Amino acid sequence: MNTLVRAMCGPLLLTTLGALLAIDYAGQVSFSRTWPALLIVFGLCKLAERAGA
Amino acid sequence: MKKGSIFAPLLLIGLGGLFLARNMYPDLPLMEYLARYWPFVLILWGVLRLTEVLYWSATKQPLPARGVSGGEWVLVVMLCFFGASVHAVMGFSSWFPAAVNFGGLDIFGETYQYPVAAEKPASKAPLVVIESFRGNARITGGDTDTVKVTGHQSIRSMEQSTADQASKEAVFEITGDANRVVIRTNQDRARRPGRVSADLEITVPKGASLEAHGRDGDFDVHGVNGTVNIFSDRAGVRLENIGGATRLDLTRSEIVRAINLKGSLDVRGDGSDMDLENIDGVVTINGGYTGNVEYHNLTKPVHYVGPQTEFSAEAVLGEVRAPLGTFNATGLTGPVRLQTRNRDVQMSDLTNSVDIQILDRGDIELRPEKLPLGRMNVRTFSGNITLGMPKEAKFDLTASVARGEVVNEFGDPLKEEDYRRGGALKGSNGGPLVELRTEMGKITVRQAAPGEPPLELKRFGRGPQTSPKVLRPLLKSTVKDIQPIDQ
Repeated sequence: MNTLVRAMCGPLLLTTLGALLAIDYAGQVSFSRTWPALLIVFGLCKLAERAGA
Repeated sequence: MKKGSIFAPLLLIGLGGLFLARNMYPDLPLMEYLARYWPFVLILWGVLRLTEVLYWSATKQPLPARGVSGGEWVLVVMLCFFGASVHAVMGFSSWFPAAVNFGGLDIFGETYQYPVAAEKPASKAPLVVIESFRGNARITGGDTDTVKVTGHQSIRSMEQSTADQASKEAVFEITGDANRVVIRTNQDRARRPGRVSADLEITVPKGASLEAHGRDGDFDVHGVNGTVNIFSDRAGVRLENIGGATRLDLTRSEIVRAINLKGSLDVRGDGSDMDLENIDGVVTINGGYTGNVEYHNLTKPVHYVGPQTEFSAEAVLGEVRAPLGTFNATGLTGPVRLQTRNRDVQMSDLTNSVDIQILDRGDIELRPEKLPLGRMNVRTFSGNITLGMPKEAKFDLTASVARGEVVNEFGDPLKEEDYRRGGALKGSNGGPLVELRTEMGKITVRQAAPGEPPLELKRFGRGPQTSPKVLRPLLKSTVKDIQPIDQ
């Protein structure tokens, strides 16, 4: 379970990064405002890792 | 056999397909597609890796230690750098310097200018429409019965022939009839719209109304008696002597300056600086302005709603100065309502009721100089409150501090009551209700002498210095005491 969560963390971060940049380019919300979402996703991944340990 | 991701071969296939398409169809704007849509490569990459991981997990295959390897992250960084650079060079981005001038030569090509001049007869009060505009436009109302445009289109390009081609694609035109004149720069028709901009001087009849749709650039509008509507992704707007209602819908703005407006002003969008002066209509602002915000002499109701602050007043006959972290106002006509999170608030020369709530930290200094006093409800979570009233003021005052102290410099009829950690100050001589409350800080009620100078604008960072260690337990127990402003 823990290995699965750890393996999913990178792809999730990558998807989030792409989504935030796409939102920025669409003129909706600037990446300079949304980047903390990356920290949140990373934190959630780490939490899930600990919960599954 | 070592397990590998299918993304790398897919990426190769995709790149091969793109370049093949480019070779087969030379007109295909491949770089433009890349510049616009490269973040979707990251999304696709992440989703594919996620699918792989889930598939391996479901089929009981061994999972990799990391979903995205170190080498792949290096590739991601390189892709981001490449994508952001292409995006900027193609002119889609405004944060990147689109052209760095060095001895007249732009790093990303030279700027070629093409003169623009056109005019069209119009009625006394036509609607002038500017479509999908990128650049700077100065619109001036005058005693004329034509709409006249002069200026130039600027095209950044590596070579003259490409610029000439772009100039033919983005051909300038002025169309419509006498009552509706359309100014069209057609910049979006150019293969690289971000590299085409225009600087236009537009003269319109004094009674004209204006509707401008822009992507990036500034609008200066002077002496127009009709309505003004500006919609732009990113624009600085300066308005002066406007007769009708004005609406600005700006995604981002470096500056909004409006002086001498007879009608209402409705601003939407985020920005930096805002300067409003002598406005005779209702002012409504919806958006966050993080720079220097100033209002002077707004004679009708003002309503501002930002991400952290909400402010309304019946009029601002004096001024409001609200740079980041501070709100300094004088000459407000109430009911005045201000709700904010982290600001020092100073108000003097107030009329009618006042309702101030600071949800986090901030000092409040009030000096209502006019009598009779209005009803006051003033609360801060953490910060000092100072209230200076004329000696003759009538009030029914209750001031309380959960942790801190109260100071009575007013004298009778106020009486101090000490609690274990805080205190209260109560007293009435028959006036309106005045409630002051801070969870942590000091409340001072004093007599204000006539003719005291206006409260000096405080700068951000001079608020209450409360240790987070002390604040933390209080947050849990008392934050619910401060209720949002009812409406």
